[in-house]
Amino acid sequence: MSTDCLKLTSYFGERQRCGDAFVADALIELYGQHEIAASILLRGVEGFGLKHHLRTDRSLTLSEDLPLTAIAVDTRPRIEAVLGPTIELNRTGLITLERARLLAGGLPGQQPTELPADLREAAKLTVYLGRQERVGRVPAFVAVCDLMYRRGLDGATALLGVDGTAHGRRERAAFFSRNAEVPMMVIAVGPGTRIGEILPELGTLLPRPLLTLERVRILKRDGRLLAAPDALPAADEDGMALWHKLMVYTSEAVQHEGQPIHRAIVRRLRAAGLSGATTLRGLWGFHGDHPPHGDRLLQLGRHVPVVTIVIDSPDRIAAAFGVIDELTRERGLVTSETIPAMRASSGDRERGGTRLATHHLPGQDPAA
Amino acid sequence: MVSVLLWGAVALTGGAGSVLRFLVDGAVGAAAEGDFPVGTLAVNVSGAIILGLITGLALGHDQALLAGTAAVGSYTTFSTWMLETQRLTEERRHTTAVLNVLISLTLGIAAAALGRLIGAQL
Repeated sequence: MSTDCLKLTSYFGERQRCGDAFVADALIELYGQHEIAASILLRGVEGFGLKHHLRTDRSLTLSEDLPLTAIAVDTRPRIEAVLGPTIELNRTGLITLERARLLAGGLPGQQPTELPADLREAAKLTVYLGRQERVGRVPAFVAVCDLMYRRGLDGATALLGVDGTAHGRRERAAFFSRNAEVPMMVIAVGPGTRIGEILPELGTLLPRPLLTLERVRILKRDGRLLAAPDALPAADEDGMALWHKLMVYTSEAVQHEGQPIHRAIVRRLRAAGLSGATTLRGLWGFHGDHPPHGDRLLQLGRHVPVVTIVIDSPDRIAAAFGVIDELTRERGLVTSETIPAMRASSGDRERGGTRLATHHLPGQDPAA
Repeated sequence: MVSVLLWGAVALTGGAGSVLRFLVDGAVGAAAEGDFPVGTLAVNVSGAIILGLITGLALGHDQALLAGTAAVGSYTTFSTWMLETQRLTEERRHTTAVLNVLISLTLGIAAAALGRLIGAQL
């Protein structure tokens, strides 16, 4: 049912150009030409990279150059075919490669799916949808989030894409258009058994499901510390560097000392000298025991969920987790993932590379 | 009668004014660390001084149209000030939002008055 695949993620700036084209346009154009199974371009609200230049939507003028994230998922040979050109295009940004399982087309019948061993403890499920896709009368992302909440997952966040490919076809948002097929994604985290249970249900909800499964560790849920980030070595058995990624799911409504938690996280991590962080604002979603929420018609403050992604070496992520742990004392879902390949470049400085490391946690099936 | 040439000049000056705003707002905003929208404040207050000055100079009709309506009118921004205030309330920074309105108003009126005073002396 599932195919081993690679997820190629690029983090860069909206105004970044390559020749006479914007990097964002050129990247998705490339993924469209290669008919990549799933790709999506997300516009962040705040972030910084290796140069510590803060991109933010805090003021209208500064919003001209927001942090962007482009994700492409497909089989290994197909991702490797676009990797070289992606590096060429994204010269001053961050690129990561992660392992994932891709489920496209039909999902298995009514039986709960037994997930592979490495996903049983916890898994990250990403569902790719069309912007106007509906399940009955409700938008598909609302139906998917509701299902995930009812089945007791730890969190789900719906993020709106502005460009991308779905089942190999380019779908780009335009000003005068319904933009029905423009991709969006729901990122959910939960115990592997529960995610296995909802896969058949997703199969009945969605006509043409497109989803990925990834290994994840849940560190914090609603202020409760469940685990510390894995104590990863700096490199695997062959000397390939390993990297760590934290994802912090909070809401615009959750504050720390008068500012939303995600703003505090980005500020504090930038001041602490981390290599980079990006915040994406969701449309709808939940984390912990709080029912799915989003913006309302008449409101003063916003209620949408936000996700902050932090990537660095294992020792610096351990330090960053200290900061995040303190800021998410009462609310917020925090997860960690191992990144087998990362390449950061700021023009004159480079870190990492794109060869995949193969690290296995103690007790884990090396074949998984 | 206003000539085509004058309207062309208004369009060009207006365009230049908005580009200047983009540059000033961007530079001030990027240099400032806090959450207060100082870029927009800097643009609006400096614009108010210049508009006050132009009024104080009592220029001819065409020059006033070009310098006042076209240049300063496109340089300053009411909509951004309002949008940024609304965005502060979205993030529940109500004190900052109220301050953004009050400080802009107070400094703006003072700047316009100061500009007129200087203009009248010239």
